[in-house]
Amino acid sequence: MSTDINAIELTVNGVPYPVAIDTSRNLSGVLRNEIGLTGTKEGCDDCECGACMVLLDGQPINSCSYLAVQAQGREITTVEGLADGDELHPLQRNILATGGVQCGFCTPGMLMSAQALLDRNPDPSLEDIKIGLSGNLCRCTGYARILAAVDATAVELRGTSDS
Amino acid sequence: MSFAVATSLDDALAAMAAGARPIAGGTDLVVGSRQGKGALPDAIIAIDRLPELAAIEVGDDVTRIGAGVTHATLMTDATVVDQFSSIADAAALVGSPATRNVGTLGGNVMNGSPAMDTGAPLVVLGAEAELRSVDATRSVSLDELWTGPGSTSANADELCTALLIPNRPAASGSAYVRLEYRRAMEIAVVGAAAAVTLDGDTVSTVRVALTAVAPTILEVTGLDAVVGSTIDDAAVAAATAASEQATPISDLRASDAYRRHTIGVMARRAVDAAARRAMGETIAVPVNRALGVGAVA
Amino acid sequence: MAITDLPTFVRADGPDKVTGSGRYTADMTLTGMLAAKFRYAGVSHARITKLDVSAAKAIPGVFAVITADDVPDVRYSYGIADRTLFAKGVVRYDGEVLAAVAAISPEVAQRAVDAIVVEYDELPIVTDLEAAVADDSPLVHDDLDGYAITGDTPHHGNVGTHSSIEMGDPDAAMAAAHTVVSSRFVADASHAVPIEPRAVIAQWEGDKVTIWTSTQVPFDARNGVCETLEMPTTKVRVIVPHVGGGFGGKCGPHYEPHIAALARAAKRPCKLVFSRWEEFTAPDRRREGMIVDVTTGLDAEGNIVARTGELLLDNGAYMADSSFFAQAAAMHVAGPYTIPNVRIDAQLVYTNHQPSGSVRAPTAPQGCWAVESHTDELAAAIGMDPLDFRRRNIVRTGDVGPTGQTYEEIGLDRCLDMAAESAGWGTTELPDDEAFGISIGWWPSFHMPAGAYMKMHADGKVQVITGANECGTGSVMTLRMLAADELGLDQTDVELVYQDTAAAPDGPGASGSMTLFNHGRAVEKAAKEIAGQLRELAATKLEASAADIVLADGAASVAGTPTKSVPIVELAEAAAEGELLLGSGSTDELEWPEIKGSSCLGEQGFSSFMAPQFICHVARVRLDKDTGVARVLEVHAVHDSGTILNPVAAHGQVEGGILMGIGQALTEGTQYDETGSQRNAALLEYKLQTIADAPEIHTQFVEIHTPNAGPKGAKGLAEAPNVPTAGAISNAIAALIGRPVRQLPMTAERVWSTIAEEVTA
Repeated sequence: MSTDINAIELTVNGVPYPVAIDTSRNLSGVLRNEIGLTGTKEGCDDCECGACMVLLDGQPINSCSYLAVQAQGREITTVEGLADGDELHPLQRNILATGGVQCGFCTPGMLMSAQALLDRNPDPSLEDIKIGLSGNLCRCTGYARILAAVDATAVELRGTSDS
Repeated sequence: MSFAVATSLDDALAAMAAGARPIAGGTDLVVGSRQGKGALPDAIIAIDRLPELAAIEVGDDVTRIGAGVTHATLMTDATVVDQFSSIADAAALVGSPATRNVGTLGGNVMNGSPAMDTGAPLVVLGAEAELRSVDATRSVSLDELWTGPGSTSANADELCTALLIPNRPAASGSAYVRLEYRRAMEIAVVGAAAAVTLDGDTVSTVRVALTAVAPTILEVTGLDAVVGSTIDDAAVAAATAASEQATPISDLRASDAYRRHTIGVMARRAVDAAARRAMGETIAVPVNRALGVGAVA
Repeated sequence: MAITDLPTFVRADGPDKVTGSGRYTADMTLTGMLAAKFRYAGVSHARITKLDVSAAKAIPGVFAVITADDVPDVRYSYGIADRTLFAKGVVRYDGEVLAAVAAISPEVAQRAVDAIVVEYDELPIVTDLEAAVADDSPLVHDDLDGYAITGDTPHHGNVGTHSSIEMGDPDAAMAAAHTVVSSRFVADASHAVPIEPRAVIAQWEGDKVTIWTSTQVPFDARNGVCETLEMPTTKVRVIVPHVGGGFGGKCGPHYEPHIAALARAAKRPCKLVFSRWEEFTAPDRRREGMIVDVTTGLDAEGNIVARTGELLLDNGAYMADSSFFAQAAAMHVAGPYTIPNVRIDAQLVYTNHQPSGSVRAPTAPQGCWAVESHTDELAAAIGMDPLDFRRRNIVRTGDVGPTGQTYEEIGLDRCLDMAAESAGWGTTELPDDEAFGISIGWWPSFHMPAGAYMKMHADGKVQVITGANECGTGSVMTLRMLAADELGLDQTDVELVYQDTAAAPDGPGASGSMTLFNHGRAVEKAAKEIAGQLRELAATKLEASAADIVLADGAASVAGTPTKSVPIVELAEAAAEGELLLGSGSTDELEWPEIKGSSCLGEQGFSSFMAPQFICHVARVRLDKDTGVARVLEVHAVHDSGTILNPVAAHGQVEGGILMGIGQALTEGTQYDETGSQRNAALLEYKLQTIADAPEIHTQFVEIHTPNAGPKGAKGLAEAPNVPTAGAISNAIAALIGRPVRQLPMTAERVWSTIAEEVTA
């Protein structure tokens, strides 16, 4: 058992990143500043807005309030890991098509929550989607178009997996 | 700050004996430090990867829920949902999917907040907390564990390893309902849990505990009188007793008068839902969303 | 219409935003950049007796600590120049900035902030609006007349601006009225709460400074720096990366001057990023609290014959852009009704609260909530259905409104009818715990000067250089459609250069729902200039008259002879070798509608409504009477915002505005303690609506021709959807419990208390 970990490795979107950090640093800060992935946003200080949502081993967490050192050895997925090269993920494509993006600041976190939801439940009801995204505040859209985008993506992905 | 990941329970207990604080999801600890409520401790031992803390084991008389079981698991685990529904109701209302995903039962219990959602269900189900240190293992009642807002009687080197819950008799049910100003991302303004056992159409046992109306989770006393009464009468009696016994404060979330009123409403609804479950009715978890109590569904 | 049925809108900034590659201000890093942090007053009213930054400066890693002593002694603001960049002598709200620190890291900067020593003599704190206007009240500013005051800004004591609307003889009409109803409504302050907390970066090169900032109005930010740091316009460049929402909260100059001054002192680039707590407590943008006393007289048929009102608005400690608020609030309390006899008095009152400033339709949601709740009380008093009462009394095309403005073609009657029909008003059977509520509202369009440049390149692609600012609405993105339409191109042929004061002509940015209305007109003019050049080139080439050339589908053709045609790209290619295809445009000034018969005090541009927008919302609400918790199930919204050029964006504005309106109606209220400090400056305690709370929203638009409208008949739209929602919810709750809840937000506890009052009454 070790103490005072400073040099650690974080795996983000499949890429290992060696970083030297203070153990008290939060994950969102390390992703944004040390690793340079600024798609993950910070909108509050206390797990209340969801802009910092990332996936840890496929499960959503508020990275603003998660110690970076605690993510060692786990798969971290950020919004930068959603697209397949230049090909947008269906969630990304659909949220643009429905008009679910306005200022875009909540969008990365919203997409990560949506991805986790669809992984867990490929056939969600609208109520399931609402609960799945309920930790992500959006001030611009009134949510209707985000809801539609996730619903459309679920339908689309089910069609793909059925065929 | 030093940080280590425990690879075994003994590892974790040794670290705590040396002064480390345990961290599971870190929601309370890290958020607290970011809000300036308290600095992070000098030494942290991560216990979120210990399989021995993450199990739910159904014994002959007692079910043992590991302290590291997350709210996300509690709200979907078949045993918890069927047998200890009120815990599932409460877990499903905690924060957001992300907080439910990392937040644990042990973390909630050891936080000692009178607003913790899983506390009142555990009380009405008669749970005890299992505390372990390098030297010893002991079980304490929750009444004994919670000593005030944010404080517990556990020693600094003691880790809560599990909650031990007596298995439920036949014809029993439990439920937790909470007042919510919006349908998600809420913290309890008031909440109530009830566990009810029925004898035909009448109530044979009822326990009610209250969230956020006293310095700790408050169990309603004097409900023996309702034994033998109808469900409706028991619900009304529980509501009256809850409002009378509550000692709420006024703060920015609600006045004491409003809390005193709504705790009665929550108690009545909790008893009603628990009794309906005892009768075999399936009410989905959480009761709040299934029946539209708290924030109207 | 289903969301997926709307025409395609290509959001040029979309891919950037969904992939995480888009840069917001806080995402940027410059070499050598320092972290900036502020020391705030921490008390609401006090005289500074000592401010010592020496210990802070001595901390290793601290590069600069600046205070009022380190910047020019300039008092500034709109209307009344009552403030300084850093507190000077007296602090008047707890989030006022005393000092700024630049340090090697945020942690070191915070240590330095904590090491600043300040001592005060406390002064009496003014927080109660009614006490503040009493003759014996302590003053927030003890010498208003010592400040530079501009415009028609009548002021005295703690009253910053006093405005009135008067028409007819309200006293006589009220005395003769058949039914008179008086109501009082009190609205708490609330907040804009963009999800992006603001951020500012400043970097100097010689005597020039470049500032990256999350502002809604880059030119205001630039002008603020120029004014307070006494710099020429040409030396300050403001660049705006993606903005994570504004809602008015990021209008006007904020901390750009502070960070510019700090970066100059530190000789390094400096970056400020606000925490959520700072975003709540420090900026001069907060939706003002308001007390509305309103009395209305009706004749025997239910026609409004007179209305009087007295309004007090909480301005907070300083004038932000609030000098017009008194007049705007008065207009909203008069309401879009035909009222021959009116007197509304509104006073904007200084207190020791955070300053109020433009938040999405300033004064309107509270004023509308009050007057629309009052309107349902009027209908109830004479036993009339609220819909019928409004049908009888609203302004229609050709009617004279409460300030004597004659409305040319307007669509309020159609908004009312369509919203009622959409909801099934009077026909839908509802359960006992549900009810509909209806509310109408209005909001003007504003003319402000705006310019645009345009270039067509050799490859036929176009760049629009605009001062417009995209804070999410999509209206800047819509400018591409306008340019493409004039030039016969596809919107994807048009690229936007925006959010850079050094490149673009000035304009109002993303404020006052003005993007399309003003920047759009400028873009149209610039595009017409290039279109004219293309027509000349095509005319020569096709041996036709320029007047007969049609630009469409990427080609210039002779009208009626489609075979005589040349691709636009060929013309552009040729022009690139000769006279370049360049356009520029500036908005033509629009005339404000004339008003008759009204004598107004405190004239701040709100006595008449230019190209007014009208709205009707019907809300379906379910109420848990045992707890007072209300939930909005449906909102039926009908808007007259003129021509809708971009339906996806337009629906998005309405949906977002309604959710914000629901929050303001039910859960969003800023709470203060007795010392004037905010008690709920966090998102757990200041509750925005979540997706789980979002109702079904059914939106329709009444597209009519309005004189003086913007491009292709478009009016503004961003603010209007926020105006009537709270009023509709209020009236639904009142229908369920028999009386209105007289405080905003109508929290569960307030609803419960109102029910309890009825039981005891």
